Amino acid sequence: MHAIAFDQAGYHLGGWTPARPVIAMSKPGTAADGFADMIGAIAAHADRQAFAGLFEHFAPRVKSYMLRLGAEPQQAEELAQETLLTVWRKAGAFDRAKAAPSTWIFTIARNLRIDAARRARRGDPVEDPSDLPDAEPTPDEAMAAAQSQGRIREALGALPPEQAQVVRLSFFSDKPHSEIAEELKLPLGTVKSRLRLAMARLRDLLGDLA
Amino acid sequence: MTPPMQQPTRHPSEDLILDYARGALEAGRALVMSAHLGACPACHAAARFAEAIGGALIEELEPASLEPDALARALARLDTPPTPPAATQRPPDDWIRVPPEVLAAARRHKRWAAPGVWVAPVTRDRRTDARSYLLGIGRGIAVPRHTHRGSEFVCVLKGSFEDRGVVYGPGDFAESDESVEHRPHVTRGGECVCLAAADHPLVPRELIGRLFQPLVRI
Repeated sequence: MHAIAFDQAGYHLGGWTPARPVIAMSKPGTAADGFADMIGAIAAHADRQAFAGLFEHFAPRVKSYMLRLGAEPQQAEELAQETLLTVWRKAGAFDRAKAAPSTWIFTIARNLRIDAARRARRGDPVEDPSDLPDAEPTPDEAMAAAQSQGRIREALGALPPEQAQVVRLSFFSDKPHSEIAEELKLPLGTVKSRLRLAMARLRDLLGDLA
Repeated sequence: MTPPMQQPTRHPSEDLILDYARGALEAGRALVMSAHLGACPACHAAARFAEAIGGALIEELEPASLEPDALARALARLDTPPTPPAATQRPPDDWIRVPPEVLAAARRHKRWAAPGVWVAPVTRDRRTDARSYLLGIGRGIAVPRHTHRGSEFVCVLKGSFEDRGVVYGPGDFAESDESVEHRPHVTRGGECVCLAAADHPLVPRELIGRLFQPLVRI
């Protein structure tokens, strides 16, 4: 399991300010840039204050995600912990050119949950979740990842409500689409076509990201 | 840099890529998908796009309240300094890139199942019976005729096999279900290595397969 360090220091948990001018790398202003800077600070100098800043923002959201997917509160709490501990351990592998911080953290949480389901059933530990080494991003991708999150939220907001609903249900449920259709009392074909329309629309709106 | 490899020509459906991105695939199936995504820039980009939507959606979730000591506990659990990422194990040169646990399985659990055929279990979910495994098949060897309960995902890691007139090469993805009764065989090149995931053991359709199956247990 995780090595435990007992040098727990009291940190001021208020606004986080980077200890070094790592922000020089990025355009000022967006929250995503701030979080990317924090991950960078963890990678560069094991910055515990940066970790605390990330934890305060993301751990409650990851717990919320796990609860939505049907985890018990205690398991959701532990998976949120493990997600952020993985962020700490893998900070050096984060590349702001490839993904927004929330996307990276989402994939970590997703993988840990899939793995936890298997572990819980099987009873023995497994190796690291299965993330592959990534191909190098093209300059276009790098540009796109940096700007993506706000634009994706805008695009989601521009979807017809019934399409946005199936997108949200798809991500916040690990159920097959047939069960989502039952919950919505809709034919499976309708759910699938709404989802396809939604994804196609998002690709249109966010063409350079797709 | 890895040497350039021909890009896959057989891909998972758009629906499956979305299922992967939203975390709806069982662990073994997710592993097969990630092997294909690692070899296929187009599907990889599609998965990344869907993951970015997941990232945006997680941002808009109502934050859940944590236990009062949550941050203190997390801080107490931090390695100092963060563990540097383990040196990535290189797969054999003639394999496409695979997740580390697949390499570990090949190293630790490989066993000969029949002349010219080896298997190595990778993941197993005892409650649901879902499993994933590596399958190595020598040139000229055919997997005995069989079908599947539920569907099976396969990604070719090395070499190629032929199934019902289609040749699957490195990185190619195949999905077959119970409507498919087949006898994939290795016709060209050297050994073919595949990563496969299924919900149930395969169902042999001929005597040799019934003899073969207990050996393979896949």
